[in-house]
Amino acid sequence: MKTITIDPITRLEGHGKINIFLNDHGDVENAYLQIPELRGFEKFAEGRRAEDMPQITSRICGVCPVAHHFAATKALDAAFHVDPPAAAKKLRELLYTGYIIYDHILHFYFLGGPDFVVGPEAPAAKRNILGVIEKAGLDVAKDVIKHRAYGQKITAILGGKATHPVCGLPGGVSKGLSKEEVVEIKNMVASCHTFAKFTLNLFEDIVLKNKTYVDLIQSDAYTLKTYNMGLVDKYNKVNFYDGLIRVTDQEAQELEKFDVKDYTKHIAELVEEWSYMKYPYLKSVGWNGLTDGKTSGIYRVGPLGRLNAADGMATPQAEKEYKRMMDTLGGKPVNSTLAFHWARLIELLYATERAKELIDDADITSTHIRNPVGTPGEGIGVVEAARGTLIHHYHVDKKGLIEKANMIVATTNNAGAITMSVRDAAKGVIHKGHVTEGLLNKVEMAFRAYDPCFGCATHTLPGGLPMTVNIYDHRRKLYKTFSQP
Amino acid sequence: MTKTIVLGVGNPILQDDGVGLHVLEALRERLTNPKVTLETAMTGGMNLLDLIRGYEKVILIDAVKQMGSHPGEVKRFMLTDLPTVHSCNPHDVSLSEALQLAEQLKEPQLPSSIILIGITVDNTYEFGEHLSSTVASAVPKAVNLVLEELKNT
Repeated sequence: MKTITIDPITRLEGHGKINIFLNDHGDVENAYLQIPELRGFEKFAEGRRAEDMPQITSRICGVCPVAHHFAATKALDAAFHVDPPAAAKKLRELLYTGYIIYDHILHFYFLGGPDFVVGPEAPAAKRNILGVIEKAGLDVAKDVIKHRAYGQKITAILGGKATHPVCGLPGGVSKGLSKEEVVEIKNMVASCHTFAKFTLNLFEDIVLKNKTYVDLIQSDAYTLKTYNMGLVDKYNKVNFYDGLIRVTDQEAQELEKFDVKDYTKHIAELVEEWSYMKYPYLKSVGWNGLTDGKTSGIYRVGPLGRLNAADGMATPQAEKEYKRMMDTLGGKPVNSTLAFHWARLIELLYATERAKELIDDADITSTHIRNPVGTPGEGIGVVEAARGTLIHHYHVDKKGLIEKANMIVATTNNAGAITMSVRDAAKGVIHKGHVTEGLLNKVEMAFRAYDPCFGCATHTLPGGLPMTVNIYDHRRKLYKTFSQP
Repeated sequence: MTKTIVLGVGNPILQDDGVGLHVLEALRERLTNPKVTLETAMTGGMNLLDLIRGYEKVILIDAVKQMGSHPGEVKRFMLTDLPTVHSCNPHDVSLSEALQLAEQLKEPQLPSSIILIGITVDNTYEFGEHLSSTVASAVPKAVNLVLEELKNT
């Protein structure tokens, strides 16, 4: 294969970009994904008061502030050598389930679902929530809005503020729950649980009963045999808030399991010259280029990564769905990228079941919600953001100021896998120079499945998914450009 | 008097991206009309919709990137002029899409007018709380444009 170097001038600012290179038959020789990476976090954090980090980092992204808030708070627990009381951990986890509920609902109905509900090659103008409503009906839409709002409300009650929580402190949380709030959350959780089951049924009817979609999900173009990573509890079940990081291999066997404080012993980051993106990989396996298989240290995080990296779900109904998914798609690990959507809905069901357990826990109204902090030092925190493993790492000096900071976000963890998925999908759907908007959407579906986050950036006009696709012919001449929408 | 909200939108820690928030702070010092709500929003899409429900007139102040523009330009758009204004990242819908959805659901409390005051920006991919000097110098112009808008309220 010819080596392709993309002129650094084409490095992108502000937009995600997919460059697809065709050979002289018009088939895809290679494809690259570039997404803008936020820069300068380390310098930005230096000298700030450590206890401000949960608030500051929650501003990084307007969509997953809760994940950053708690990755930072947990890093501070470790940095200040304090273990929060049991009740504080439960309150944090309950808040976290609210976040997973609204985030996963939003992704399925607004972003990932339209490709299936409306169809992958339907006109772009229809492939959105409005197209979903047209098919599924207004009542479904009302339920989507209602339960997304419930997820938000749960985080607002516990977090003290809508969208950006302010409750996380080293050693605990600043706010407990009143009896009235418990009742309110209980009702919302019950309703979300029913809606999660409804959504899984909808997925069954629309996707799993449609052979074309099942074939698409299981096709080679959307298959990637990487390692998988996610947080697990002591029974190796999926957990969003706490636990050990577990990595499993292509036969679903455990490769390693470690405490996040040792992450630098297990994860290394490679920088490619043509991209701002960093590519993390498993140190024990090594970097072998953008390739999958046992000899490549690339791994996947996020819903499918988590389900593959675990032995199951910690709640009964989600566990049943977990087994069904693994059985239906040929056993563990499931390597079909489009199965991320199914995994996401199983996690939605789990989040509602786990929320019910937590809100029914006698501890949840406890007022012992914070322990005194010790002397500051180094601290590392991890949570499972909706889109995958998120790590914050701080060195705190004696005055309580940040000396050094590092962060690995979920989309970075998935960078290698997303790039390969986009390339393979392009190879699978583009032939003989025939490129249409519908075919390109099938390439983007590979990318969308991961629910990637580019960091919170500017409104670009005209808007839409900030993504440009450039197609080059075998002479490296620009052949076609598509921009969304 | 029309029930009005002015929303500064942006990310406070991504330099020029936060210009909408800077304009809003400057407005607080200039605006005395207690009937106009001033608010900041560090989010987009569906969350933005939650904030503007119940107001008749909405003025959004936000950073924009536009082909062929230079940083520091101030422009007025109607939301309906734009095919979409995407929210702060691809994991959310645009405000236009959120509004269309709300209209389909026949929500009763939707605004009748949404205006966007856009400030074109440059550096939004590096962490920092300060604006570039070019964009900072556009803040007074944006403030005046918002005050002008509010006169007709």
